[in-house]
Amino acid sequence: MKWIAGCLMLVGLAALDPPYDPARELAAIAKTGPQGEGSAAAKVARDELAKHGVEVLPQLLVAMDTSNAVAANWYRTVYEEIVARELARDGTKWPVEFFKEYVSDAKRVGRPRRLVLGLLDKLEPAFRASWLPTRLDDAEFRYEAVGLALTAGDRALKDNNQPAAKAEFRKAFEAARDSTQVTQAAAKLKSLSESADVAQHLGLITEWWLVGPFDAPQKTGFAKVFAPEGKVDLQAKYLGQGGVEQAWKRHHETDTLGQLDLNKQLGTTREAVGYAYAEIDVPHEQAAQVRCGADDNCSVWLNGEKVFGRDQWLNGTRFDRFITPIQLKAGRNALLVKICQGPQHKDPEVSNNWSVQLRLCDDQGRGIEFNSINPER
Amino acid sequence: MNCKKGIVKEMMPRWISRIRGSELLLVLFLLPHVRCNAENWPGWRGPNRNGVTSDTGVPTTWSATENVLWKMPLPGIGTSNPVVWGDKVFVTASEGRDQGELHVICFDRDTGRELWHQRLWGTAPTLFYGRSGMASPSPVTDGKRLFAFFGTGDVFCFDLDGGLLWQRAIADEYGPFENRFAAASSPLLFEDKLIVQCDHYGASYVIALDQLTGANRWKSDRPEVWLSWSSPQLVTNGDRIELVLSGSEKLDGYDPRTGSPLWTLRGLARECVPTPVFGHGMLFVVSGPNGTHFAIKPGGSGDITDSHIVWKNDKGTSFVPSAILVGERYYLADDKGIGSCLDAHTGKLIWKKRFGDKFTASPVAADGKLFFINEAGSTLVLDATQAGYEEVARNDIGEEVYASPAISQGKLFVRTSKNLVCVGSK
Repeated sequence: MKWIAGCLMLVGLAALDPPYDPARELAAIAKTGPQGEGSAAAKVARDELAKHGVEVLPQLLVAMDTSNAVAANWYRTVYEEIVARELARDGTKWPVEFFKEYVSDAKRVGRPRRLVLGLLDKLEPAFRASWLPTRLDDAEFRYEAVGLALTAGDRALKDNNQPAAKAEFRKAFEAARDSTQVTQAAAKLKSLSESADVAQHLGLITEWWLVGPFDAPQKTGFAKVFAPEGKVDLQAKYLGQGGVEQAWKRHHETDTLGQLDLNKQLGTTREAVGYAYAEIDVPHEQAAQVRCGADDNCSVWLNGEKVFGRDQWLNGTRFDRFITPIQLKAGRNALLVKICQGPQHKDPEVSNNWSVQLRLCDDQGRGIEFNSINPER
Repeated sequence: MNCKKGIVKEMMPRWISRIRGSELLLVLFLLPHVRCNAENWPGWRGPNRNGVTSDTGVPTTWSATENVLWKMPLPGIGTSNPVVWGDKVFVTASEGRDQGELHVICFDRDTGRELWHQRLWGTAPTLFYGRSGMASPSPVTDGKRLFAFFGTGDVFCFDLDGGLLWQRAIADEYGPFENRFAAASSPLLFEDKLIVQCDHYGASYVIALDQLTGANRWKSDRPEVWLSWSSPQLVTNGDRIELVLSGSEKLDGYDPRTGSPLWTLRGLARECVPTPVFGHGMLFVVSGPNGTHFAIKPGGSGDITDSHIVWKNDKGTSFVPSAILVGERYYLADDKGIGSCLDAHTGKLIWKKRFGDKFTASPVAADGKLFFINEAGSTLVLDATQAGYEEVARNDIGEEVYASPAISQGKLFVRTSKNLVCVGSK
């Protein structure tokens, strides 16, 4: 009888055992970081976590919402192992409602949300089709949602339903942040006689004052200071490359994505520097980003303060290549951009591009609201 | 007996502990008689990082079906070469809109069965080439651990059963790579270090990581360099071992134990892709297109441009494929499909042929044969034992190929644009 009582006691104690709390293991992994730090402890914690089932997935996914790239991957190895194991067997009670809530929380880091969406595809195959089109304001899934809107618009056009097509294309245009999607949506709207201002949508600077070229032998242009860097005086005249007098001239850029070709505007040259100047009026003080690219390179001053410069050569002007946070004040803001042109590459077939592209936007890539000012000389 | 050098070495203590006396004598008697022709392919360009293996028995003819032992689909894209150690084959890949979804996959060498598959996130995806994504660098293994570097600026270390041992997000630590086609340099193992060349538009450097922990052993900044996709090489120069990096119009020698710069040779292309090869006491370097082949004596200090060049030749340089040295001859297929063979000692052209189609993959060699795989998936097999151009076969695998192949244990492992294909005698 004693042994029966003992067994019952053990069973009772086991029943009282609290459920597994993964907090300690999750915290150990959170400590991983630079230099491989914390790896040994993370490995032990990972192995322990992976022994458990779907009950740890909610806490695991919350932990995966981290900017620590190393920890995120350690967590992911656990997630992948548990999910693969549980998918291979019947009867698992997946926390599907938690997954839906998690994947829909746009404030969370995007990558684990995308993982969960992939799992929902297996658990509830119809979910994606109804959910994804609603994600137009979701940074992680916006691209796909915009793509669906564009497709829906095309379908409506095929069905000769122009109002529906316009509505879908408008929805796509307003939500799009990817430059290719923005231009695609704009082109579709324009084909239906609808307006769509790509430059405004992306915050592209297209109204410029330009001056140059100034002489900058070899690759001295980046460091060499020319008069406009001291003070922008649109009335001034300067001694430019080859002793030619240079003055500021106005330019309106018509390229769809605001790419300004200095070879066309200032003349084809080498080993030179050109300047582009713009003034804008913004309705209120705000944090923003200046996104730019240039060939060969550019430096940017905002209201007299240098906010960006990268001493690189022969790189190509690529959309949003460099992203720098800035603070715009309410009212007038002045932007000065210096664009360098280096020596011709030793291979004469390498093009002699001299160009710049610059925009002002929020951290999601939507152009900020501003008016270009055309300052008087 | 299936004799695998790497496996034999790894298993030796346990193996010997199980046999005694007369059994040991018998084993010692038999050992020299075992035809040990099987090598691993542990990283970029094989056991000696030059495309050449002592392996034998690789078929010289195959097709999309003939002599194909198995074929397994691969996720995403990538041009890293397969890595083979013992009975395991490792491949990396990337996928996703930004190619930030990384894969490290292990297959069974004999059956192609997937043994394990790690899916990971890349820290900082860059612009990329549509065929390679973030998976241009080949992984490397010492038979105990597998090290995988990706264009996202991440280095992962696994045990051979797929367990993650450590990760370095070096793009987080030292800044994202700025790269038009994503980083492509394949790391190498030296003593207890993993050496990674990180040349890009931003702050470039070469870094040595502790193989056990991932921590820095040294980091040497390369402030004067920009973008390159070349892989580091090790050369032996007397008692001195030198780490050689090409990129930014020059070739640099470093001390691989400390990262201290040793010498520089000028005259390479602005952007370098091929990996130098070493033989006959010389280092053979090519960069192009429209560049120069150099054969140089390693060693020296400072600028060795005027003192260490044995020969140079401006004809037929490649942008992407590396060259190969077999015996006294130096072979190359350029990107446009022109093959050439030079005398390794003089740089004199021995023959030049139009191989056909374009080349991205670097050639490999085994058993006196050279294998050049073009982008269309056709492999030109040449007899390297003949003085002149001697074509053995042309084999079409039926799929595009951009990755360099691997040879191990009598099999050729070809990574096509879709599959990993194991070619071997049935």
